Amino acid sequence: MHSQPYRLRLTGTPGLAALPAGAWLALHAAALWPHVRWAAGRLLDGSDDPLGLAALALLGLVLVRMAPRLRAAPRPGWFVASAVMTAAATFSLWALPPLAAAVLAVLALSLAFAAWRPDDAPWLPFAGLALLALPLVASLQFYAGYPLRLLTAQLSTWALQLAGLEAARSGAAMTVQGQLVIVDAPCSGVQLVWLGYFCACAAAAWVGLRDAVLLRRLPVVGLLVLSGNVLRNTLLVALEARPQGLGEAAHQAIGLGVTAAVCAAVLVWTPREQEKELRHADRH
Amino acid sequence: MFFPSLRPRAVIPLRPLSRPGRLWAVVLALACLASLLLVALPAQADDADARRAESPYFFVKSDDPSVDRLPLKATEVDARIAGPIADVTVTQRYRNEGQRPIEARYVFPGSTQAAVHAMTVRVGHRVIVADIREKQRARIEFEAAKREGKTAALLEQERPNVFSMNVANILPGDEVAVELRYTELLPPTEGRYQFVFPTVVGPRYRSPANKVATTEEQANGTAAPSGSFPAVPYLPAGEASDTRFDLRVAFASPLPVSGLRSSSHQIEVEGEGSNGARVALGGDAESSRHNGNRDFILDYRLAGDGIASGLTLFPGAPGEENFFLAMVEPPRAIATTQINPRDYVFVVDISGSMHGYPLDTAKTLLRHLIGGLRPSDTFNVLLFSGSNRMLNETSVPATQANVAQALRTIAQMGGSGSTEIVPALKRVAALPKSPDVSRSVIVVTDGYVTVESEVFQLIRRNLGQTNVFAFGIGSSVNRHLIEGIARAGQGEPFIVTRPEQAAAQAERLRRMIDAPVLTQVKARFEGLDTYDVEPERLPDVLGGRPVLVFGKWRGEPRGQLVVEGQAAHGAWQAMLPVATPDAQAVALRHLWARHRIQSLSDQEALQGGDTQREAITALGLRYSLLTQYTSFIAVDRVVRNPAGGSTPVDQPSPLPQGVSNLAIGAEVPSTPEPSAWIALGVVLVLLGAAAWHRGGSSAKRLWRKPRRLVR
Repeated sequence: MHSQPYRLRLTGTPGLAALPAGAWLALHAAALWPHVRWAAGRLLDGSDDPLGLAALALLGLVLVRMAPRLRAAPRPGWFVASAVMTAAATFSLWALPPLAAAVLAVLALSLAFAAWRPDDAPWLPFAGLALLALPLVASLQFYAGYPLRLLTAQLSTWALQLAGLEAARSGAAMTVQGQLVIVDAPCSGVQLVWLGYFCACAAAAWVGLRDAVLLRRLPVVGLLVLSGNVLRNTLLVALEARPQGLGEAAHQAIGLGVTAAVCAAVLVWTPREQEKELRHADRH
Repeated sequence: MFFPSLRPRAVIPLRPLSRPGRLWAVVLALACLASLLLVALPAQADDADARRAESPYFFVKSDDPSVDRLPLKATEVDARIAGPIADVTVTQRYRNEGQRPIEARYVFPGSTQAAVHAMTVRVGHRVIVADIREKQRARIEFEAAKREGKTAALLEQERPNVFSMNVANILPGDEVAVELRYTELLPPTEGRYQFVFPTVVGPRYRSPANKVATTEEQANGTAAPSGSFPAVPYLPAGEASDTRFDLRVAFASPLPVSGLRSSSHQIEVEGEGSNGARVALGGDAESSRHNGNRDFILDYRLAGDGIASGLTLFPGAPGEENFFLAMVEPPRAIATTQINPRDYVFVVDISGSMHGYPLDTAKTLLRHLIGGLRPSDTFNVLLFSGSNRMLNETSVPATQANVAQALRTIAQMGGSGSTEIVPALKRVAALPKSPDVSRSVIVVTDGYVTVESEVFQLIRRNLGQTNVFAFGIGSSVNRHLIEGIARAGQGEPFIVTRPEQAAAQAERLRRMIDAPVLTQVKARFEGLDTYDVEPERLPDVLGGRPVLVFGKWRGEPRGQLVVEGQAAHGAWQAMLPVATPDAQAVALRHLWARHRIQSLSDQEALQGGDTQREAITALGLRYSLLTQYTSFIAVDRVVRNPAGGSTPVDQPSPLPQGVSNLAIGAEVPSTPEPSAWIALGVVLVLLGAAAWHRGGSSAKRLWRKPRRLVR
């Protein structure tokens, strides 16, 4: 048992005090049921990609794995902060769009986790996975899709020009060797963004990567994802612009190959420092 | 110290950035740079140039099994032809085989000369007779009925030959039959009659330059006819529609009917040579599935091979109007010996919708047209799709070498791109012309555009000194455009559905240009008090078509009609005595009104805007006719869907026979992400592999218990 400088006293509620931390977190999640219901609704009505389910499943696994080591009593500051944030998330249902309110709810839950988490467990991967569990992809596609398409199209154009091909960007479309190829909404890389950050959070949660290290990694993950998407787009545009075009299977294979490469790079690179330090610690 | 330190000091002291801070700063700087570059680089096009909602598109069947996406089950046509007048009943049967109430929307074609005068809707055992209403009022009533949960049908005219039907609140299991009735005059050409029933609206190209009607214009109904065209879903080329198409024709002619044949469909004929012949669609089950993807064309003759000239009078009820129709056979064409030098400009559509069979037919036609020119003639060819180009700077003599070179160039053409017909015609109008040369412009197209009005206006205003002839190429041509071009350009329309018809049609044009049948035509009545005569000025007769005069009469039915003109051999005159009024000729009422509406519409197209709106609306309401400003509406009195809400379903049409998928637009490749589930699967496998790897490594303990490093 860890010694605590301050203990939250749950006086007058001996039953509650006896509850394990996991049950507290479950109660906290239940208190946020309108957000959960909204997220489940979005998932079931087909208006968003079901990627969030994977983040949710992984989050569950991390929590189950960590359950025996959760604190017996919460950290008071974090506990109060999570209660305030839960109230804010609840009231925001009347004032904010459902997704924004759900982000507050995720923050509240993450603060609750911070209150109960073991001293050596990181917080950021948990918060990241909880955020990724939300039905985010369609909204990301709506708000970030077009800028990402423009950026991808422009970087791909430069890449093709460097390779000596005749290429020009026209809005979110490209003309390569006289052939028009569209960088349309599904080519924006939003899905790859989600998968990249999912891998980063998963790896960090698994090895217990320190929050500061993960924070340092996140922009690099972004750059890896962007580079991967530009590479994928450049390859596909160059092949599509040929007179014979590109078959559906080859299209899919290139997309999957680049996705796998980006995610593998994230998985290898994210916990690298921690691994090194662990090996170093093992040796000594 | 007296001198202050020379070491620079920050005004606001800032701590140096940490490593993650530096990384974030680099990322932010890169993002800002990329944004600046994107803004600085001019983008020639963006998503606004993507396919517009009004454009045709391929039908994608939803995977929602509770909604019936193909509610139109059958179209049945019943035509009764008496002499030159056809009375047609079209029944469209809708059935909802899904589990949710639907609103079926369907765009379908009609004959260019059809006077649609009645609509009836059957829901179960109830029969609802539709009323004619001003267009906006009908739409408001329809929307109200739809909201109230009543089954309602709205028939609107999109073009004189394109109609749209909306049937709201078709409940699961319902069968709704909508019955339309129209009357049409079938004027003969050189003694041959032709009944045409179009079955499909070809995909219309809508130019981005074409003015889009504003919401306000749409609301008050003042949108230019070309400013809007419903988005029509199409099945891919070659895919048969599930809608059954059936057609029957019954003749009730005063003269025996002969020479019954169809160049478009297999038919079964009964009683040929008698006054009561019958025609039905034939062929096996498989071929009949494709019956609804092209115009049904039926040719026939009446005994004597001449045009049944005559003056038919319809007596209205007491206090009502009386109508007449005169049909006068023109003299036979005689080729003139002295041919003036002529200049021909061929304007040829090589757009995507012409790809394949239609363009092949057009090439065959052009081989006959250009190959048949005299060496004294001059010619030029303008090819157009999205852009246009002239074969020669100026017209060249029709020498063997020039003709061969033109035919070689045309033979190399493949159909692709959009159909910018207006710029092409503007270029033709701007061509300089010697005053002593007679010019003919020959437009060859399928007419799949939405700019009919602009084309007619352009021809009337700029090609006044030129005869414009239009060849419609294909199995389901936009006859409204082809006939309108000919009318505006004082020419004649030609329809070529197959390459084997090309030679005969080219020869017909040559005869027509060489020898106009009748010019300076005038008609006057002696002894009969007539008024509201249509047309006000009779056009020249070029193609062996009869002289047609519509109108109203009052007083005693007596006297005669005198038609005069100049034929090849001199002055020509024909007299038709007034016959006894025929109470059965009730169709004349609608035919006169339809003709008057067409004259007003032509005038409106010339003037622009909606200058004839009131007059056309008044005629539509008075004679119960569907027009661009009046619609038919039928509303069931029973509220059948009290919960309201019905899923709109756009009924797809097959692509016209011979038209390729390029007519909808070439597919532009894109670079989509891999499908989410497969990508996620790949990532989960990677995660598993990573976890497995760590499980066997020195970091094995991480699997069991993450540990915090203590520095």
